Amino acid sequence: MFKKLIAESMGKSPWLFHINAGSCNGCDIELVSVLTPRYDAERLGFKLAGSPRHADIVVVTGPVTTQSLPRVLRAISQVPEPRCIVTMGSCPQSGNVFKGSYSVAGPLSKYVHVDVDVAGCAPKPQAVIDGLALATKILKEKREAK
Amino acid sequence: MDFPFVKEAVKQLFSKTSCAMYPAVPSEAAPHYRGRIVYHPELCINCGMCERVCSGNAITRSSEKVEEGEKITMTFNLGSCTFCATCADFCSRHAIEFTGDYHMVATKEEDLLVSGSFIKKPPVKKPAPPKPAAPAAAPAAGAAPVKPRDDGKPVNDPSKCVYCTLCAKKCPAGALEVDRAAKTWTLDEDKCVGCGTCAEACPKKCILI
Amino acid sequence: MSIVMSALQYLGYILIFPGFLFCFLAGLLLCGIDRKLVAKMQKRVGPPILQPFYDFFKLCGKETIIPAAASSKTVFLMAPLVGLASLVVLQLFIPVFNFTAFSGMADIIVILYLLLIPALANILGGAASGSPYAGVGLSREMVTIIACELPLVLVLLSVGKAVGSATGEGLTFSFSSIMAYQAAHGSLILKASMIPAAVAMLMVIPGETGSHPFDAAEAETEICEGLLAEYSGPPLGIFKLSHAIKMLTMTSLFVALFLGGIGGGIESLVALAGLSGAAAGGVSVLLEAIVLFLLCVVLTVVCISFVHAVTARLKIEQIFKFYWTVASGLALISLVLAWYGL
Repeated sequence: MFKKLIAESMGKSPWLFHINAGSCNGCDIELVSVLTPRYDAERLGFKLAGSPRHADIVVVTGPVTTQSLPRVLRAISQVPEPRCIVTMGSCPQSGNVFKGSYSVAGPLSKYVHVDVDVAGCAPKPQAVIDGLALATKILKEKREAK
Repeated sequence: MDFPFVKEAVKQLFSKTSCAMYPAVPSEAAPHYRGRIVYHPELCINCGMCERVCSGNAITRSSEKVEEGEKITMTFNLGSCTFCATCADFCSRHAIEFTGDYHMVATKEEDLLVSGSFIKKPPVKKPAPPKPAAPAAAPAAGAAPVKPRDDGKPVNDPSKCVYCTLCAKKCPAGALEVDRAAKTWTLDEDKCVGCGTCAEACPKKCILI
Repeated sequence: MSIVMSALQYLGYILIFPGFLFCFLAGLLLCGIDRKLVAKMQKRVGPPILQPFYDFFKLCGKETIIPAAASSKTVFLMAPLVGLASLVVLQLFIPVFNFTAFSGMADIIVILYLLLIPALANILGGAASGSPYAGVGLSREMVTIIACELPLVLVLLSVGKAVGSATGEGLTFSFSSIMAYQAAHGSLILKASMIPAAVAMLMVIPGETGSHPFDAAEAETEICEGLLAEYSGPPLGIFKLSHAIKMLTMTSLFVALFLGGIGGGIESLVALAGLSGAAAGGVSVLLEAIVLFLLCVVLTVVCISFVHAVTARLKIEQIFKFYWTVASGLALISLVLAWYGL
C-alpha cells in the first residue's frame, strides 16, 4: 500500500530543474511563463527546484554547445532516480539552425536517453504543459516498474 | 518599509483567478499561428525550393524507382524546424501548410516527422512529341507572338529578353541554360518541373507559363 | 499495572496526539493551506491542499545521493532526523490550552533551547554536505538565528514578567503558571502592555520558520536552496516535513503565550453540555486540539502566507537590522511596561 501511495504521489508532485544548454532564451521564457498566474503549473504540482538533487524532471533547452555539454551531463547525473529528461524546443533535439556549427555538440540524445521531446520554436506554454504531463506519466510508470 | 501589494493581495484572495485551466479547458492557437506542418503531396511538383530555403535543414527529399515511375518522398522533421514558414512562402503550388496545431509532443523522434510521397510519372510520353517541336518553335517564335504552352512549362519571348540569366540562377531544377554572349535561352524539358519560379524572377516579364 | 498504563499513555502522547502523528498531519496540512492561499493572493489557482503530502511521499520514493565531498555520511543522514525529533519533543512541551502532555517537566527556557536544535541540525547537515552553496546558506542561517533569538527572548521575558508580577512570583518561566494565569484572568493579548510583545512574536514567526521575506538562507533562485542543496530523497523529505512542523510549533507557541485564555471557555462549554469525568476530559482535549489547529491556520495565514505574497526576499543584513531594531524594540517596550506592573 505504501508503495502504491509513493507511485501515486510521484505522478502528482513533479519538480522541475531547468538547464540552459546555450539556448537563445526563447524557450526559457516560455518555460517560465508556464509558472505564471496565466498557466500556473503549480496547480498540477509542478515546482521549479533550485538544485538538481531535488528534481524529478530535467528540462533542457538550447542546442548543447561544446562548452555546456560536460556541465549538462554532470547536472543530469546529479538528479536522483527515477528521473525524466525533457527536451524543449527544436534545438536540443537536432541543433535546429545551429546544426553543423563548430561549437555545437548536440543533439542531446547522442549522450543521454531523452524521454520526451516537445517540438516548437519556441513551444507554446500549453505544449510545454502537455509535454510535462507526459513526462510525469512516464515518471510514475518508472516508479511502478521498480 | 513599504508594501505596495497589500491591497492587491487581499483583493485577489476574494476574486476569481486569472488561470487558463489548460489541460481541462482546451485552448486554440491564435490565428496565423505556425504550428504542425501539413504536406499535400498531390500538389507538389518536386521543385526542391523548400529544401533549398530551409534554415534548419529540416526538409529531406528522397526518390525511389517504382514501376509507374519515380516515387518522391518529402520528409519534414518538426524537431529541427524553426517554424519560420519560408518553405510555405516559397512553394509555388501551396503544397506546404502551417496549421494551428501546437500539440507536438513525442516520446520518439519518429513521431515528429511529417512525410508524404507521390509518384512522378516518367516523361516517356511527353518528350516524344515536344522534342522535335521545340527546336522548330524557336526560329518560328521570332516572327509570331509567343504563346504560352499548355503543359505548364515556360517559353521565352526573345523580343523582350535581355539574357540577364536571372531565370537560370533561380531555377531549382537547373533546367534553364542562358548564354549572354550567344543570346540563347534553352530549356531542358526533362529537368523542368514547371514551378514558375523563372517567370516570377524575370525582370522583363518575358517568360510565359 | 499502573506503570504499564502510564507508559502506554506517554507512548500515546509521543506518537499520536501532541506528538508525531498530530505534528505530521497538522504541519503538512498547514503547509498546504499556506501554499494554496499564497497562490490565491497571487491570482493563481494553486496546488491542491494535500500537495505537501504528495511531495513528502514522492521524496520518500526517490534515490538518496550522498555527495562525494560529504565530510561525514552519518552527520549528513542523521541531521534531518535530529531536527524532526527535536521539533516533535518541542510540540510535546507546548501546552494545548489546559492540556499538557508532560506538565511541569519543562518550561520556557527548554523551549528556547529546543527551538534552536532544528536550525542547528540544518546547519550541521549543510556543513557535512561539503557544498559551497550550503556554506553560504550556513552563514546566512546562523545570522538569521541570531537575529530572531533576541526578540524571541525579550518576548518570553516580558510574558514571564507580566505573569510573574501578577501572581507575586517575580519572574516566572513556568508554562503551567502562564496557562493558569490566562485561564483565570483571560488571554494575555488583552493586556495593553502585552500587545507590542505579541506583535513582535508575530514578526518572529516567519523568521524562525524561514519563510518568505526572511528566507535568505534557503534562497532557491540564488544559492540553490542553500543548506538543502545537496539533499535528495527521504532526508530532503524529512527537512521539508520539519519546515512544515516548525510552522505549527511557532504558531502554537504564540497561541500558548498570548491566547491561552480560550481554553477556560472551552472547558466551561463542555461542562455546560452536561458531560463530566473522563468523557468531559476527552471531549475538551479534542475540542482544544481543533481550536488550536484553527488558530494556527489563522496565524499562518496572517504572518506567513500574507507576508509571503506581498514581500520580496530581504538581504541578510536587512533581516538582522529588522529584528534587532523593530522587533526587539517592540518586545522591549512590553518588557519595560511589564516591569512597572502595567
